[in-house]
Amino acid sequence: MWAAVTFAFFALRLAAGDPISSLLSQGLASREQAEALRTSLGLDSPLPVQYLRFLGGLTRGELGRSLYTQRSVAATIAGQAGPTLRLALAGLVVAAVVGLALGIAAGTSGTTLLGQAASSLAGFATSIPAALTCVLVLWAATTLARGSPVLLPLTRSESLLLPALALGIASSGALARVIQSGLEDNSRAPYLLAARARGVRPGPRLIWHALRPVLPLAISFLALEAGLLLGGTVVTETVFARPGLGRLLVSSILIGDYPVVQGLVLLAAVVYTLTHVAADTLSAVVDPRLRPST
Amino acid sequence: MKTWSLCALLLIGLVGAACTPDHDAPTTLNYGLTLAPTGIDPHLNASAELGIPLTSVYDTLVVQDPATGEILPSLAERWEVSPDGRTYTFHLRDGVLFHDGTTFDAGDVAANLDFVFDPDHHSQKAIFMLGPFERAEVIDARTVALHLSEPFPPLLDSLSQVYLGMASPEALAAWGPAEYQFHQVGTGPYRFVEYVPNDHLTLESNPDYSWAPQIYQREGPYYDRIVFRFYEDPATRALALENGEVDVLGEIPPREADRLDALPEFTLFPVAIPGQPMEFLFNTALPPTNDPEVRRALIEAVDRKTIVDTVFGEHSSVAEGPLSRNMWGYADDVSFPAYDPESAQRRLEQAGWVLGADGRRSRDGVPLSLTVVTPNWGNHPEVSQLLAAAWEAVGAEVEIETAPGFGLLKEASDRGDYSLIGINFFGTDPDLLRPMFTSSGLYNWMNVSDPALDGVLSQAATTAASQSDRQALYADAARAIRDQALILPIRDYVDLVVADNRAGGLAFSYQGWFPLLHDLHPGP
Repeated sequence: MWAAVTFAFFALRLAAGDPISSLLSQGLASREQAEALRTSLGLDSPLPVQYLRFLGGLTRGELGRSLYTQRSVAATIAGQAGPTLRLALAGLVVAAVVGLALGIAAGTSGTTLLGQAASSLAGFATSIPAALTCVLVLWAATTLARGSPVLLPLTRSESLLLPALALGIASSGALARVIQSGLEDNSRAPYLLAARARGVRPGPRLIWHALRPVLPLAISFLALEAGLLLGGTVVTETVFARPGLGRLLVSSILIGDYPVVQGLVLLAAVVYTLTHVAADTLSAVVDPRLRPST
Repeated sequence: MKTWSLCALLLIGLVGAACTPDHDAPTTLNYGLTLAPTGIDPHLNASAELGIPLTSVYDTLVVQDPATGEILPSLAERWEVSPDGRTYTFHLRDGVLFHDGTTFDAGDVAANLDFVFDPDHHSQKAIFMLGPFERAEVIDARTVALHLSEPFPPLLDSLSQVYLGMASPEALAAWGPAEYQFHQVGTGPYRFVEYVPNDHLTLESNPDYSWAPQIYQREGPYYDRIVFRFYEDPATRALALENGEVDVLGEIPPREADRLDALPEFTLFPVAIPGQPMEFLFNTALPPTNDPEVRRALIEAVDRKTIVDTVFGEHSSVAEGPLSRNMWGYADDVSFPAYDPESAQRRLEQAGWVLGADGRRSRDGVPLSLTVVTPNWGNHPEVSQLLAAAWEAVGAEVEIETAPGFGLLKEASDRGDYSLIGINFFGTDPDLLRPMFTSSGLYNWMNVSDPALDGVLSQAATTAASQSDRQALYADAARAIRDQALILPIRDYVDLVVADNRAGGLAFSYQGWFPLLHDLHPGP
């Protein structure tokens, strides 16, 4: 985490230019006035000094203030966290449901038409870029809604359905692949032969048998994907005109509002760590082999 | 039992809602913004987008005529300027109330200026608009004098802008610079209700509004509520209009704007935005663009009309100077060299750039190579591509460097290793030329150093006695800039606004971006 914020601190200053220039982008200030603003914001001290000041703030639990609004970074981020969390969770549900369905269809129906179709769909979902998914989903929904106005509310930016679909579809493809390959590897496993020999007919029960050992992998994949979904909201939020951390991140980088970007990077580092822990814990719950022996 | 009573309640509610006559229902306008600004306190933040809603939350001491830019009374009924041009005395209107119920008086003007000038508030625009302002003197409850250290004719223009809108000093003090943006209190036709960053901003009509300046044509405000939302992705803007989510939305891509305009339910408003046009600044400190003949050749090599038509469609005009043609100060007798590739070739030849067998020009073994720094916004990249093609056609090598964000554009300009840099600035007073075209200016990216031009621009913003004197000086400046071929002007900015015909009376301030929400009403 320390590495992440340190990297963010220096990389931003190298990559995004002088924040004073961005602050004064409406162009009226004189040179003297620009320097006065730099001094009053504490941006005139050497970079290492600014860095130490930033670390000192962190140890006191302070993330600093936005250069643009003087609002605390914590308050700025907190105001945008709720919508992103809701969107990421909804996207995760879409990814889980669609991914599971496609994965089972592809993994158990083999070379039948259904299996082939599911497999291709999963491949398509993984390969299409997020920005395109968003616009396609929005366009398709708007076209449908023009025919049947009942659907109109779904296309509004307040509705969570379309953004969640757009966000979840990309992850669902990858999840489907994980499940498909797991199921195919398992199909010749001795315990499944044994189950069949015991008289379990091909069908839901047999699928459940085959799926059990695949689930831990799928769950850790999804948990890790949860972290990535938070990143995926950058595009989704912009296209669907929704508030959230993704929008906040992009705009803060573009205008050089460094304290806010640093806060977001720190938050991302925390979230990734937590999702890894969650992935391990969940896998252990589902798979007895991973539980510590007592 | 519970379920039944719930259903019954719901049914009663539905019937009730259905029976309410339409004219009693509150009217709501949905207005789309195209940027989600960081910080929307006009006294501290600089975004133009914030003015779209907030121009109607605040009144200003004076206002500009939407058509001519003439300064007219608003919160100040009348004013006098001292003969030395250093004291402006404003006589304030009586009976004006802030949205929090407090009365507006001369002390509030001083308190607002103090808020802007507090160094701990880090104002990013308003403070610079006041130029050599020194202090406000409250003479009595209805009279306030602003003292300047030197004459500054652009002051009245500045005082007409939302950035110096009059806020309730009680609210400013209660919330402070970090939180006031969420609790703004003005005296305007709409009052501020709620702002959730990146999500929405809500205004409600101010029923007490009886001090409307004469720029308004009607007896508004008409809408009970106006909700602003942010549509940053240009690809989704037309969809938002078509699915009925917004009633008014600007910055529609040209093709989409024309398509919507052809539909019966929409109207297109091409709104000219005053300021400096989209232009490319020549670096006069670095070869090959340090040679005025090369700069003239590069201007003549470009078919600006075709570029503007290709990229921006039929609604934009070709820019012909350092100011856009719809603002006062524009010199209509100044035009830049027309497209003439033969003349361009001749000029380059005479300047010593000889055409080689490979179709590339060089002088003493040095190739004619240009580096163009282009912003990644406002169609600059597309225009840069077309410029590169035109210059390659006369034998130059062109490299395009894209700067995503103003900070990086400034950084590229600081490095100094460019031939041209693209930019546009918005503003209503021609004094916006000073930071760019004077030798000590913060944005002197041309590295121009011309004492005569410095003198003209400084005189126009200080000692010039009248608007017509200023007009003549800015015409001189435009001629000097043209004669020295300092810039390649491309296009006067036009904002393509599309409105659903459910809303009528859409009109815009002289500033261009800002709608006169007071006059906007339901129905055609």
